[in-house]
Amino acid sequence: METPYTNHIKRDEYEFVYEPAEDTFLLLDALEKDLPYIERLSPQICLEIGSGSGVIITALSKRLRNTLCLATDINPYACQVTRRTSSHNQGYVDVVNTNFTQGLRVRNIDLLLFNPPYVVTDTDELNMLSLKIGDAEENITKNQLVRSWAGGKNGREIIDALFKNLDQMLSRRGVLYLLVLKENQPNVIEQNLNSIGFNVENFMDRKIPGEHLYVLKITRKKGKDDE
Amino acid sequence: MKLITYNFLTSKCIRGVKVGYPLKLKIVQKEVVQTDFNPEFITRLLPRLDYPTVHMAAELVDCAEGVPKELGENYAADQDLLQKLHHILLEIDIIEGQLECPETGRIFPITQGIPNMLLNEDEV
Repeated sequence: METPYTNHIKRDEYEFVYEPAEDTFLLLDALEKDLPYIERLSPQICLEIGSGSGVIITALSKRLRNTLCLATDINPYACQVTRRTSSHNQGYVDVVNTNFTQGLRVRNIDLLLFNPPYVVTDTDELNMLSLKIGDAEENITKNQLVRSWAGGKNGREIIDALFKNLDQMLSRRGVLYLLVLKENQPNVIEQNLNSIGFNVENFMDRKIPGEHLYVLKITRKKGKDDE
Repeated sequence: MKLITYNFLTSKCIRGVKVGYPLKLKIVQKEVVQTDFNPEFITRLLPRLDYPTVHMAAELVDCAEGVPKELGENYAADQDLLQKLHHILLEIDIIEGQLECPETGRIFPITQGIPNMLLNEDEV
């Protein structure tokens, strides 16, 4: 996959929107490596939660030409930037400003992507931010950017909130590629997901200065209905 | 917001709302963005769409001529229909407007091409 151009994004816009970094590129590399699987899956609907600059979903939309590619972000600026990144690169992404997949019909996503806010932070700080979800447009502040990385306790509060709703998001054959940090305790994540009906594969990992990053590949356990 | 995306949006996420679908779409400004016709894409997506809402959206943008109220079995072979649906679903971009919950009247604004489906904590 081609890495989309980001030269249309001005430097000062990165005060409001997460700038593509090592975590972004690891997720992109993981998707590229797993393209044979994804092409076999032949997803009808792909969605990236928290698309930020929009680099990942734009790259995928150009590759998966028979897939509807959607992006959501809680941050209205990120939504605008994702939309521009897609059009600047002749991508095919449509964007919705929302929290996770709120406002979308349930159990529809075949390919779900999430590079979450995973940094271990103070829970109170995170609560202060998340209580302001409703008045996001009034908060023209760097809160938006903090929200792109602040993960609360174990860096896992947003990740755990996603898991609570995962069953409502994924289609029956759906797969989630999730980026996490060693401090998020991938083994605990695996146990938690196993207990609510999902399989977890440690698909790729990479050590960068100060961080050990993982891409987890998460699918539904086969149920009685699928046999 | 493309009309294909509109097809997936619902206000069922509001506490107390039973169906929340389809949302009432009001268009203030729209653009037509030409996109390569890809019949396979449309054919594969149609089973995942709510067809009555596709038809309703087609009427709203004055493109319903030749688009049947109910989708026949042989739609995959009907290039003419696929081309029309391609235009309606993928080429019409709603820039400004609003979506309204059919049960509560809650408005979700569409600005600069992006619908805002965020809810306040007391609405969820």
